[in-house]
Amino acid sequence: MTASPAAPAPPQGPLLSVRGVDVGYRTGRRSRSTAVHDVSFDLHPGQSMALVGESGCGKTTLGLGLLRLLPRTGVVSAGEILFRRKDGRTVDVRSLAREELRRFRWSEAAMVFQGAMNAFNPVLRIEDHFLDTFRAHERGRARRRAGIREESAALLEMVRLDPARVLGAFPHELSGGMRQRALIALALALKPQLLILDEPTTALDLLTQQAIVERLSELREELRFSMLFITHDLGLAAELADRVGTMYAGRLIETGTTRDIFHRPSHPYTSALINSVPPVSGDLVVPESLPGGPPGLSSLPPGCSFAPRCRHAVERCRETRPELEVLHTRGGGLSHAAACLRSRELAAEGATRD
Amino acid sequence: MATETAAPPPPPEAGTAAPPPDGAPLSPHLRLWRHYALVKVRKAVVVVFVVANVTFFLGRAMPGDPIDVMAGRLTQGGMSLEEARIIAANSLAYDPDAPLWAQWWDFIVGLVTFDMGMTINRPGFSVAESIAAYLPWTLFSIGAGTLVSITLGLALGMVMAYRRNRLLDHVLSVVASVLGAIPNYLIAMLLVVGGGMYLSWFNPISLRGTLSPGVEPGFNAEFLGDALYHAGLPIFTYVLAIIGTWMLVMKASTTEVLSEDYVTVARARGLRDRRIATSYVGRNAILPLVAQIAISFGTLVGGAIFVEQVLVYKGIGGLLLDAVEYRDYPLLQGLLVVLTTCVVAANLVADLLYSRLDPRIRK
Repeated sequence: MTASPAAPAPPQGPLLSVRGVDVGYRTGRRSRSTAVHDVSFDLHPGQSMALVGESGCGKTTLGLGLLRLLPRTGVVSAGEILFRRKDGRTVDVRSLAREELRRFRWSEAAMVFQGAMNAFNPVLRIEDHFLDTFRAHERGRARRRAGIREESAALLEMVRLDPARVLGAFPHELSGGMRQRALIALALALKPQLLILDEPTTALDLLTQQAIVERLSELREELRFSMLFITHDLGLAAELADRVGTMYAGRLIETGTTRDIFHRPSHPYTSALINSVPPVSGDLVVPESLPGGPPGLSSLPPGCSFAPRCRHAVERCRETRPELEVLHTRGGGLSHAAACLRSRELAAEGATRD
Repeated sequence: MATETAAPPPPPEAGTAAPPPDGAPLSPHLRLWRHYALVKVRKAVVVVFVVANVTFFLGRAMPGDPIDVMAGRLTQGGMSLEEARIIAANSLAYDPDAPLWAQWWDFIVGLVTFDMGMTINRPGFSVAESIAAYLPWTLFSIGAGTLVSITLGLALGMVMAYRRNRLLDHVLSVVASVLGAIPNYLIAMLLVVGGGMYLSWFNPISLRGTLSPGVEPGFNAEFLGDALYHAGLPIFTYVLAIIGTWMLVMKASTTEVLSEDYVTVARARGLRDRRIATSYVGRNAILPLVAQIAISFGTLVGGAIFVEQVLVYKGIGGLLLDAVEYRDYPLLQGLLVVLTTCVVAANLVADLLYSRLDPRIRK
């Protein structure tokens, strides 16, 4: 695996620029809990970024928040989500009006969901899902059904499905892997600039996972969309991503190129995540487990939220909350940054190396 | 069983999706469905047959026969019991000495040949004629009531789910629970006493019956209007009687569907809200409720007997009561068989409808 040096950043700047975003859930009449705190990152055209972390770290909430798809009780309560649309204008997704938001979704940014088993309406054929999607986004005259059908068939072929069999099928007649492929085909229907994938392969067997991952990275080469994918599978992150962001307790605590994260992790949490995965080759080592779980959203410690579980924590870690600090500056959003007060000391000691 | 793997049809030329030529093998979906429908029809026939037998024996298990009942009435006029029995036996077309199995055989033959014979207590009228004179009114009022209440109930239930925990939802939930808790004949009484007597919104006396005097059945505005005028109160009663349940059930079902992934995905796909509400939320929320349409209908058929008495609507309810009271066995059996058939048919229609609406069920 090589973390390919990213393509030179195009002059226009980032496709997606997330600035200080908070996402919260209403928990009562006047109470709210914040699931994502002050997250900022830039995603440049063609980049693929993985968000990793344990369950409950706010990855999915952030992904849904970017498209304003949160459940009724959820709201993006602060920050800006700047997105450069195909027409070159940059919009803040947070301030899009209802109809603008509807048109923005899927045509600019599509999302492939966790467990696509259930992503299709069980009473509609796959063909109708394509039809609905195209129809919802066409302007002016309605397109002919036959034309849409042909285009859908081409999309299905792109993900290596047989259109003759799949188009007329109901979702329950397809296997899990086929459904996931069909959903990816559907996601690419409107040629979005950004594809958000939330645990895209979690429920699938290893061979199917592998096939889908390979196809996805080929398609990204071909169609040049950007990808933001949410996963707790570090292997998948290493394979698909140019960049990795680690999330913990709703904050982005480390971000860098794939090489940075896997070879020079600078936050103890990131290295703990990496050490908990058994290596595929080399000597058999017992993977280290990280005791405990992420803190509850309502009881965040005052200092670094990872401090209670951190082997390297010292007194000031429990008092001061670390900000993301750039360790290595690069252009195109590829800088390596970590939110750990001791990252430099620990790097010098070699403590966060694996 | 021959498993012919129907070759996939040649890809249609762009834009010319011709219908399959006649005689072409049915699509696998359709073939499965036909099998499913046959099984369901067979089951329905068995149910009707079993119920018919139960009604036959249950009727005869009641104490007293038609002659006892009539003789009992005659003795109240001062006649001796002996005399009364002879008169009753002569005036009624019923032979108390015929063995039970012979009566049963007549009944079954009558069922199969659709000839249920003459009534005992309505001289000159056959069972079929009597039922035909009253059943349409009952079916009309119940059918209209079911249709209106289900349509309204589904719509309101969906609105409640979309606005759950808001004021409108709270208000409608209370209304629905209260309506669901009142028995239908009480609703009929409340309507007559409240709306007719205290508030004088309508004249309950002129609303009685199924038609005003002098109006003849026929396909004209006067007849249809008058029929609706008289059926209005029963229909309204039926609507109020079951709408509450439908609202609550639909709200629960819609709330569940709203949390399904495919609804979120549909929003992510940028579909219009209206499209999501109908094809994604509504259709999936209604699916599990289709079977309950038939249950609602069955409940109303039972309730109609009381409601029609309260509202003096000349439907099948009064006829059924008479048949029981006078031990008019053929009429009682005929009525129960016909009513059962209606309810079973409603169930069958609901089942078949469900299988058409839900592609997962056709197996």
